[in-house]
Amino acid sequence: MSDERPRRYAMVIDGRACLNCKACVVACKAENDVPLGHNRIWVNQTEKGSFPFVSVQMDPGQCMQCDNPPCVRVCPTGASYIDADGIILVNPAKCIGCRYCIEACPYAARYFDEESGTVDKCTFCRHRIDAGQEPACVVTCPTKVRVFGDLDDPDSEASKLLARNRVEVRKEEAGTEPKIFYLS
Amino acid sequence: MKGPALSRRGFLGATGVGLAALATTGCERVGRFLQYSSSRAPSSKVAARRDLTDIYSICDNCVNKCGVRAHVAGGRLVKLDPNPHFPKSRSMLCAKGNAGIKVLEDPDRLKHPLIRVGERGAGQWRVATWDEALDFVATRLKVVREKYGPQGVLFSSSEGFQERFFRTFNQAFGSPNVCRHPTLCLASSNLGFFITYGTVPEYDIENSRYIIMSGANRLESFITPDSIDLMTVTRTKKAKLVYLDPRFTVTASKADEWLPIRPGTDLAFYLALIHVLIEEKLYDQAFVAAYTHGFDELTAHVAPCTPEWAATETDIPAERIRAIAREFAYYAPRAVIYRGRRSSWYSNDTEMRQAMAIANALVGNWDQPGGIVPKDAIALGSVELPEPPYPEVSSCDGVSEEHPLSRFDDGNYLDMRRHILADEPYPVRGWMIYKQNPMHALPDRALTETMFRKMDLVVVIDIMPTDSAWLADVILPESTYLERTDPVEGFNAPYPFIALRRQVVPPQFDTRPCLDIMRGLAERLDLNDHFNYDMDAFIAAQLAPLGLRTDDFLATGHWSDNKTRAFGATRNPDFRFKTPTGKIELANERLRRRGFDPLPRYVAPTQPSPGQFRLIVGKQAYFTHAMHQNNEWLHEICPENFVWINSAEARRRGIADGDWVTVRSPIGSVRIKAYVTDRIRADCVHIPHGFGQRSPGLRLAEGRGASDQDLIVPREDRLSGNAALHETFVSIERA
Repeated sequence: MSDERPRRYAMVIDGRACLNCKACVVACKAENDVPLGHNRIWVNQTEKGSFPFVSVQMDPGQCMQCDNPPCVRVCPTGASYIDADGIILVNPAKCIGCRYCIEACPYAARYFDEESGTVDKCTFCRHRIDAGQEPACVVTCPTKVRVFGDLDDPDSEASKLLARNRVEVRKEEAGTEPKIFYLS
Repeated sequence: MKGPALSRRGFLGATGVGLAALATTGCERVGRFLQYSSSRAPSSKVAARRDLTDIYSICDNCVNKCGVRAHVAGGRLVKLDPNPHFPKSRSMLCAKGNAGIKVLEDPDRLKHPLIRVGERGAGQWRVATWDEALDFVATRLKVVREKYGPQGVLFSSSEGFQERFFRTFNQAFGSPNVCRHPTLCLASSNLGFFITYGTVPEYDIENSRYIIMSGANRLESFITPDSIDLMTVTRTKKAKLVYLDPRFTVTASKADEWLPIRPGTDLAFYLALIHVLIEEKLYDQAFVAAYTHGFDELTAHVAPCTPEWAATETDIPAERIRAIAREFAYYAPRAVIYRGRRSSWYSNDTEMRQAMAIANALVGNWDQPGGIVPKDAIALGSVELPEPPYPEVSSCDGVSEEHPLSRFDDGNYLDMRRHILADEPYPVRGWMIYKQNPMHALPDRALTETMFRKMDLVVVIDIMPTDSAWLADVILPESTYLERTDPVEGFNAPYPFIALRRQVVPPQFDTRPCLDIMRGLAERLDLNDHFNYDMDAFIAAQLAPLGLRTDDFLATGHWSDNKTRAFGATRNPDFRFKTPTGKIELANERLRRRGFDPLPRYVAPTQPSPGQFRLIVGKQAYFTHAMHQNNEWLHEICPENFVWINSAEARRRGIADGDWVTVRSPIGSVRIKAYVTDRIRADCVHIPHGFGQRSPGLRLAEGRGASDQDLIVPREDRLSGNAALHETFVSIERA
């Protein structure tokens, strides 16, 4: 990218529009070669009430890309780090597979890849961002549940959504300062 | 699918168990069936991102045909993204579309022509060259033809961009016996609208303000461009969505109003709605006067169909029916009764769809923004084909006598099976099957299997070793949609455009596109006249009148001359609808001429006896019918199906969530896990379609879940002959 200023990438999720169609889950799997048995993103579906007064809720989840990430703090080798644009990444070359970060993450967003012996997680599709594309889950979503953008850019769709709407973050009490915001 | 009650960890655990079991049970038998290539080596896509070539093409994992942008590096498909330029699907690709790479890379794929060497269904095959396999099929076809005439061969196929070549071969061969998918699909819905309007119209959901939908679970069963529009208008409160379904589906959960209607009574609801529109003069009087036929007869017909009467039938309160009729009229013409895609439920399904069509006509939403709109298309050219021989006998399904209003050229599947099993009126002993899986498509699998076993020759053209392929004599492997270029295809929503499915990667195995397979057979049967073109020539002929070349699709994957949908062209008094009266027929003259009731008459459905449930079926967007259960990414999401049972009913039987249960119908029984839920009425149970696959060639899907087709009693919609899928009662107990 020509403009080299650091970004503050975030995602705004509207769970109310989510159909739990799993397009995002499969797109992520395809994009990132996520091994069978693991997922970097998911949708939890829950139901409430008794017939006929029932409701179904969809809750898309993933790495919360925290500004104050416990996974990075506990990593003994510096493999887990925050990149210049605020994305939490794992450097596989430094990862020793101790899995402290998996325990530390309040969102169960990390997994241990048995094949590589390292930990992996959502990267916001860093490689796509570098190629000028949005994350795979965002692009493919039929109902556009996910809006990705730079919070330092007031004109980004994500910034506008945050300015106009009430949002919440998950497990706010954990003090992790997530950058995944849920419209409420 | 069971879905909600499964925790993420729980379902991953379950998947693990499934894979372990397969490792010890599936492989030896499979090894005989297919020659495996061990060259599957996914590389790091992430690193290759920069060196990608993008190819615009078209998905083929369901009937919608969304636009895809294939990222290719070094001749390998790296990723499928949505094609953002594609007018129909815009920027969406569903789970199946995203799993297209695994369609290409499925280790269980058909990789070579196979000729059966053991008993039928024993799974013993030898790998053949194409010449060998085509010679074998041609020789056997000739034998069947000599013995039984060309009518001795049945041709079965489902929709697809190359289906036309299979059809051409069928016609050139001279057999009148055809079974396409419509009588297992939309035949009744299409007929109900067709007899009313003289066409099967589209919907302009994007501009609708009020949408009534019966059971077409568009936000869960099938995620398509229409689903996007439905969700967009619902989410932004532009439109109100009223949804009728005995189940609280995902669509119900997003609707403004869910009406848990008693199964089998939708027609009563629509008749009462029509009653209110007329009684309260809410209909579009000018439109009805100018464009419709039979209003007075309709008025008399629905006079007794009061909301109070319908309430006792449907379990929907009379005041709600009245309110919905008023709201529907208030928002008209930007209001629709949306038919969606549903197969037949009951033997009166065409009448129910006809009532939907009539109610739409009354509020004058025809050819208006937000209403129902006539189809529009860009005319393509075609290659010159010789006139095929006219079959000397009529088709053995007897469709033109038994269902005179249905489309004879699609055939009637259940009648065809019944007639073939009885050798009525003549024997059929050859079966050519393209892109279809009768073992899962037809109710009563035991009967379908008997039909397979009755044949002297069964040829299956497919990409996977389906349950039907397993029973074939010869399997001819087709190249997948990612490995071939197909003819240009026309689309009509949101405006007419044409698009090209372009080859993304060369065939990965010894497979061929349908056209090449048909050409190979035609050559051996002296039918070359019908195939004196290849794909390039075919496409060139299609594009010639438009002055286009295939390169014109490179930039965006599609082409259109007019980027808006035109409304209102048919709303002029001189316009003749293609009906006997030239008008939209509220009282139907086509039906009357054939001796049927011209108006939809309600007959209360038989109710299950105490202790029994009506079996209702449906789909999940992770799979198209029985097509994707073996795809490893989709299998991982949902490895098996569950039977939905109301929690109070489950408690009474001591059934807990996840318990194994036995479901019994008059034709069979299945063992399946229970999903105990408050999301379904107490008088019915639900089994998602497509599971319970038997082919050992499908190493992930084999033996997972249960097939609804082992339970459904074959019944037909009276008018269209479409398979009526909700006429079966079952019992359920802990296994």
